[in-house]
Amino acid sequence: MPLKLYGLARNVNISDKDPDMDWKSITDRAATRMFFKELFKGYGITGSYLFREPATINYPFEKGPLSPRFRGEHALRRYPSGEERCIACKLCEAICPAQAITIEAETREDGSRRTTRYDIDMTKCIFCGFCQEACPVDAIVEGPNFEYSTETHEELLYNKEKLLQNGDKWEAEIAGNLKADYLYR
Amino acid sequence: MSKYLEKLRNCRLAIKQNGGIIGAYLQLFRTDELKYGNHIGTDKYGNKYYENKSYFVARSRWIDYAPKYGYDFDGSQVPADWHRWLHYMTDDPPTKVKPCPDREWMTDHEENLSGTTGQYVPYSTVTPKIHSWNPPKNN
Repeated sequence: MPLKLYGLARNVNISDKDPDMDWKSITDRAATRMFFKELFKGYGITGSYLFREPATINYPFEKGPLSPRFRGEHALRRYPSGEERCIACKLCEAICPAQAITIEAETREDGSRRTTRYDIDMTKCIFCGFCQEACPVDAIVEGPNFEYSTETHEELLYNKEKLLQNGDKWEAEIAGNLKADYLYR
Repeated sequence: MSKYLEKLRNCRLAIKQNGGIIGAYLQLFRTDELKYGNHIGTDKYGNKYYENKSYFVARSRWIDYAPKYGYDFDGSQVPADWHRWLHYMTDDPPTKVKPCPDREWMTDHEENLSGTTGQYVPYSTVTPKIHSWNPPKNN
């Protein structure tokens, strides 16, 4: 019976209806219970999930979407000539809120200013991306790699060589991502 | 009915692509998944990349690690140029659009070597500024 909302307010019974008590209904209910109908329906649901497309991804064969701006493992980049970009301006060291970066600089033999020490403590880093935003020459970037978990703490204390090596390894992707995103920076 | 027939068809195509019943069994054992798709390319390490847009995003591109890795495949074995495509940052595989021209200083890809003898060990790149005191010898 439809609930009428006009006129006098009145109480309406919204509980389940009482089961029918005629003989046919009673025997139907008894048969349903005796032959475990609900159990088999449950098995049917379980079986149907065998053939449905799963909602999870099968890592490491399938991988989730990442943004070109993803901030992962750090890398020091080079100019196309192979010259390292970092000029030891120490802006990244200054802006780093976790103080994870340590830089020491010297004048090289040819008179250009370069770092001698560029250490990042990856266990201090909070991956805020301020270093790559501060960098005037796009030298320090947070690359797209996130699969660099290690078994010991010391392996995460990156020095300059490791960072440059990361850059050489990931340059193809880093350059592609910077190119994809240059209008927005 | 047609949707069940489609499941059968997908199953048949997947088995066919993975090399018959035995090949499909081995593939299922290795990857827990039987899929079929277009072979987009192979990188220089032998990993094969596939795409089938009828799966949803994040399942529509996948990698078949090179046979040389056996069961020691790892997520960090994806080289940088294909990594970009596999993570859906771009729709163009590097066989079609190279993300950046090759430089001679670019190095080969290396998997995460943590826990092996090839692992990175930190060292100082500068000479120490503090030296231990050598006591003068009075003779």
